[in-house]
Amino acid sequence: MTATEDNGYLRPPSDEKYDAVYRQPSSYNPLHTFTLPMGSDRHYQQQYGDMYFLRLAKLKPAVEKIATVAWGELTIAGESARRVDRVLDVRQGELCWMAGTVYMDMPLKPNILEDLTKETFTSAPPSRRTYTDPSNPSATQIMVEDESGRIRLTGNLLLSTQLATGVIIAALGTETVDGEFEVIDIKVPDLAPQPERWARGRLLPAESEEAAKEKSGKSGKIAFISGLGITGTSSDTLALELLSDYLLGYTGIDDSADPSRITRLIIAGNSLGASVTADAAATAADNAVKKKLAPKKYGYDASAYNSSPITQLDNFLAELLPSIPVTLMAGESDPANFSLPQQGIHRAMFPRSRAYCAPPSTGDNKQEVGWFDSVSNPWEGDVEGWRLWGCSGQNVDDVLRYLDFPSDDVDPVVDRDDSEARLRIMEAMLRWRCGVPTAPDTIWSYPFQTIDPFILESSPHIFFTGNQPVFKTTVIEAEAPFRLDGDMEMKESDADTLNARVRILSIPRFKDTGELILVDTETLEVEVIRFGAFAGQEEKK
Amino acid sequence: MDSKLYLAENVLNERHTVTYRSLSRSLKVHANRAKQILYEFHRTENAKRPQSVHATYVISGVQKPTPPPATNGHTNDEDEVMQSSPYLPSSMPNQEAASDVVSIASILLVREEDLEDAKATFESVKTIHVYSVQAAPLQDLNTLTTVYRELALASTQDDPLECGSQWGMIQNRHVKRRSGTRAPPAAKTATTAKPESTVPAKRSLPTKEPAVRQENKPDESQPTSDSQSSVKSSSKSAAPKKGKSSLFSSFAKTKPPKPKQADSQATQSGADDVMPDDASEDDAEELFPESGDKAPSTNRETKKEREEKLKKMMEEEDADDEEMADADEEPQREPTPEEQPPPPPPPSKAAELKEEVTVHGGRRRGRRQVIKKKTVKDEEGYLVTREEATWESFSEDEPAPPKKKPAVNVAKAKGKPTGQGNIMSFFGKK
Repeated sequence: MTATEDNGYLRPPSDEKYDAVYRQPSSYNPLHTFTLPMGSDRHYQQQYGDMYFLRLAKLKPAVEKIATVAWGELTIAGESARRVDRVLDVRQGELCWMAGTVYMDMPLKPNILEDLTKETFTSAPPSRRTYTDPSNPSATQIMVEDESGRIRLTGNLLLSTQLATGVIIAALGTETVDGEFEVIDIKVPDLAPQPERWARGRLLPAESEEAAKEKSGKSGKIAFISGLGITGTSSDTLALELLSDYLLGYTGIDDSADPSRITRLIIAGNSLGASVTADAAATAADNAVKKKLAPKKYGYDASAYNSSPITQLDNFLAELLPSIPVTLMAGESDPANFSLPQQGIHRAMFPRSRAYCAPPSTGDNKQEVGWFDSVSNPWEGDVEGWRLWGCSGQNVDDVLRYLDFPSDDVDPVVDRDDSEARLRIMEAMLRWRCGVPTAPDTIWSYPFQTIDPFILESSPHIFFTGNQPVFKTTVIEAEAPFRLDGDMEMKESDADTLNARVRILSIPRFKDTGELILVDTETLEVEVIRFGAFAGQEEKK
Repeated sequence: MDSKLYLAENVLNERHTVTYRSLSRSLKVHANRAKQILYEFHRTENAKRPQSVHATYVISGVQKPTPPPATNGHTNDEDEVMQSSPYLPSSMPNQEAASDVVSIASILLVREEDLEDAKATFESVKTIHVYSVQAAPLQDLNTLTTVYRELALASTQDDPLECGSQWGMIQNRHVKRRSGTRAPPAAKTATTAKPESTVPAKRSLPTKEPAVRQENKPDESQPTSDSQSSVKSSSKSAAPKKGKSSLFSSFAKTKPPKPKQADSQATQSGADDVMPDDASEDDAEELFPESGDKAPSTNRETKKEREEKLKKMMEEEDADDEEMADADEEPQREPTPEEQPPPPPPPSKAAELKEEVTVHGGRRRGRRQVIKKKTVKDEEGYLVTREEATWESFSEDEPAPPKKKPAVNVAKAKGKPTGQGNIMSFFGKK
């Protein structure tokens, strides 16, 4: 117990006066892209086809523009590439290119028609690690479709390209005698134009001038976390406790990670442990038989419903909220609707924290932004002027199932292995200009009629995905080609996208890693703070 | 000294675990000062008697990089194909491979015994402070969370916005918090409509029934929400909330036998003979043992049945229709307990127009006026839907044995906690 590096804590109490520390203000301006209409305006009768149509209509011009630049003057063996408007107009043996939506038919993909014919109705498809059949890669068919029809793609290029259902691409090639389209090259829309920082105006609180002085040159931080996985048992809260101690400033580290610089905490889904919901469902099923015999209780049945996880979460938030504004995204295991976009967890679930919510909207008034904002998943908004686009992880998890990996499930290291792939998928999503391409095919989705909100109309500055196995980050830029395909001299015609730089964050599950991610609001540099207990001799025994 | 006394009492005598935050809150001192107090306490007590107090520490700083960097890490590397072969299991599986460009700070909770080991894993230690002190070494660090939870419970009284500076919390000037609770919605104003005679209702019974079934829900959900919102504002939850289910069932159940009861209200003694013992069955038997001996075997039998029904009812809230379909045929045979309405709803007077109550044969029964939609065929063959006030009978258990005289019953009812009390005992017991 040497007192060399004690920072003054390992010494008898002194009469030192501690100055009050003030947190830097947060500028926060969420977008309501994913807010569904309320109540009776929310319909589920529409066809999903509209979403694909809208997506194609929106992204086809973008991809065609890029393809025209790349292939417009292209001639191979004296034959110039011709643009074909519709997929069905492709002629055999003719070099041409077309744009359309990718559809992938995979052996293990859940198929509603199959379910219907088998008359097996399951409430949720069983989660699979992959939709591909590793023993039979040829069973995977990749097709391109538009409003006229669809054509199957072949070619070696597909083996090295990652695609998923719902992606809009342009493909160059010829039709073979089998009626398939032999692909030579593929183009995607690439990064959408990126707004400037503060594009939607500075919305600092009233005394922003004073606040600026208060800042004294130090940049703020945005804190990201996901997968708190609160189960209400004693096993999960220790790291959580250290986390709240840190965020509230009781455990200061040093200057660079000074918690008072954190202006906002964003919780990217799965705040409650997945096992809680699953266990509850399982016990409910188990109890179904017992219940018949047990005397009926009124109100909720404490044996089937365990309120302690949500109570813990509420306490955790109520602890933080006096000091730090929180944006809470719903996640797969959270008490919200299951299909994307998930709507925010209702404030009624947070009896203590809801005092910090925005007041309920009254009539047509613009909804005030709450200090505690329970938002949708995916979510998009401006924090400190930067555009953020994030999802709680379903999008990446699902696209990953479209890609084939070595089928060594037994090897636990495989989990680590796909972390790089996850980052690549996130990059690909940005270049596809679609945040959730596989909705509504393999991710449940609300049947949108007039918009496809999953399209990235503009590139965010920070693109994050929660609940990933490990932390990863990278920065991508628009100039970089999507693939290494020998077509490097692609010219960027769109000046807007030239400067687009996106910080990609794959945010790990806090429950597993104990990691909190801090992003600097000026440089977008990333830091990690890890919380945990030191596994001492007791545990190692 | 105050803090020493506090610690001696809690740690040495009560053998509680005291963390710096619980100390800071209990004594209303700054968290940093609390850390020092704990350190001092730990030092002086162990100087007096070694191993009498154990501590846990929090170390923050930068840990040494984990042995072999598991990734080559350059995430901007465009060449990398996704289908890369799995990494060799070169390091421990629980280590996180993060990109090497990112600085990772760690905040670790460490036992006193492991402090030196833990320090050794750090490249640079920024701070160390005492996290908690306890009389015995902690087998499981997670037990510290109970302290945290007690703390959370205890601190609900303290307004963190005011006390935060005392504890050393980072203050925020811009915090927005709503005060108070939402005002309950304005009570529904009672509409006074003239009661129509029940004769047309009776005549058009076949066509009317479905309409009523559909319409009774909106009618009754009104009082429900009213009572609920008032519950919210008064922050009393238990009894009235549960009354909701009884509200539904009572309306649903009383409807089918309505025409009969409404007509022969005064002379309806026949049914009363049967009903009271069923009704008291609704309550717990041990409260009213007299009712049990009347027909114990049927009670047993029907109780099961009733529970089945109630459960169903609870599970599908909207399934009133279904329930009523059963009920339609039931008045013919002996009324079974599940038909018996639980006590009437919590005061939802606003929704009801008039109410007349008589005490008859050991139970309170009466009629009240409700607005209903009624569909009748007029002379030209059109279906006309009208809103009209109709009388609907209801009944309520009287906490008295059925054999007693009515007069006694009334007196007793006054003394007893009346219908509302009944609900409490009915629901509270289980």
